[in-house]
Amino acid sequence: MKRLRSLVLLLAGVLMVAPPLAAHHGRGATFDMKKQLTLKGTVSQVKWQNPHVLIFIDVKDDAGKVVTWGFENSNVHTLANQGYNRNTLKIGQPVTAVLNPAVNGAPLGIIVKVILADGKEIMSRERGGNPLD
Amino acid sequence: MRNRSLISLLATVLVVGASSVAMAQAQFNPRDLSGIWTIRGHRSISANVPPMTPEGEARLSANKPTRGRFLGEPLNGQHPGFVRAVRIPSQGNDPAHQCNPNGFPRLLLDPEPVEFLQAEGRLLQLFQWERTLRELWMDGRAVPAGENLENLGPAWYGHTAGGWEGNTLVLNTVGLDDRAWIDIFGFPKSTAARIEERYTRTGPDTIELRMTMYDPTFYKEPWVSDVKTFTRVKREETTYFGWYGLFSGITEGICAPLNEVDSYNTLVRDPAGKGVGK
Repeated sequence: MKRLRSLVLLLAGVLMVAPPLAAHHGRGATFDMKKQLTLKGTVSQVKWQNPHVLIFIDVKDDAGKVVTWGFENSNVHTLANQGYNRNTLKIGQPVTAVLNPAVNGAPLGIIVKVILADGKEIMSRERGGNPLD
Repeated sequence: MRNRSLISLLATVLVVGASSVAMAQAQFNPRDLSGIWTIRGHRSISANVPPMTPEGEARLSANKPTRGRFLGEPLNGQHPGFVRAVRIPSQGNDPAHQCNPNGFPRLLLDPEPVEFLQAEGRLLQLFQWERTLRELWMDGRAVPAGENLENLGPAWYGHTAGGWEGNTLVLNTVGLDDRAWIDIFGFPKSTAARIEERYTRTGPDTIELRMTMYDPTFYKEPWVSDVKTFTRVKREETTYFGWYGLFSGITEGICAPLNEVDSYNTLVRDPAGKGVGK
């Protein structure tokens, strides 16, 4: 009983200390975190900067019109520690980007992962990168 | 006879083993805090916010954080100050989102690497985030007070001095700029605040920190921290570009307005939040 009470108290303590992830990152309701969009395009710009690395890709819509999508990534040192650098993505490189899109329909989002032409997944938030903080 | 030899051998092994463990535990100088560390603990001073003065409450309400739980959510036992986040980042007024200094203690509470460098009469804290240096004077001087403090004026990181009490380094910081928040949640501090830090090295790879903030202008009682623990960052985790040994150490986490305000906020944050929640 005493152990159970300690466990409950410990869990309650953990919940008190750790704010829920959904509200922790400071982006509020900007992006739809339950929706994932998969976009095929070519890299048009990489802003390798702190505290948010930005990546832009040109995507052709159904009518053949090019739309530039921008998405935010983690900071430079988090990505660097995972082995990425400012030349990991090159201008003109074909990629598939998986994003949580902006809820207002703007061509913007936050990265879930980037898939290279050979199928390799990089900068994956699912694998430990944390652009949400 | 054989049994006795075996027992002696086992006893020797146990004694040697025990002394190796004791030696391993003792293999640190309790007055050497140098190294690269990250802090663990509550992202504010602690969850136990003391009662605030009316002036303090007013300043808390004026600060609009984007972090913490959203305004309007159930408190679930938390202090209301932790449940105030705005849902659209551009509607917040966190000074750090314009790349203003985090200030003390907010930067210290951030779990980003910080290097402690001990010099003659000083301890230096080099923070990866902001790439800012905090100078903690240990040369016998007292923290400025009275007219001296008034003439110096406040600073983002204040003015810090202290020294060893046994094996605990005790520091006091005064003269803090009240525009910098205490934490990511927007708790305020006044220019009259004094913050005491007590660092105790508890092992080769751990330092414990206890803090207390005395700010009678905004808080009716001292704000006592939880026990925060600094753990040593492994060398390979501080290696720039992920190439072990090529360029290791504290990297540059500068928030420059050219990057954050003119680029991120303008190109992504604000257009992505436009019209949301209306």
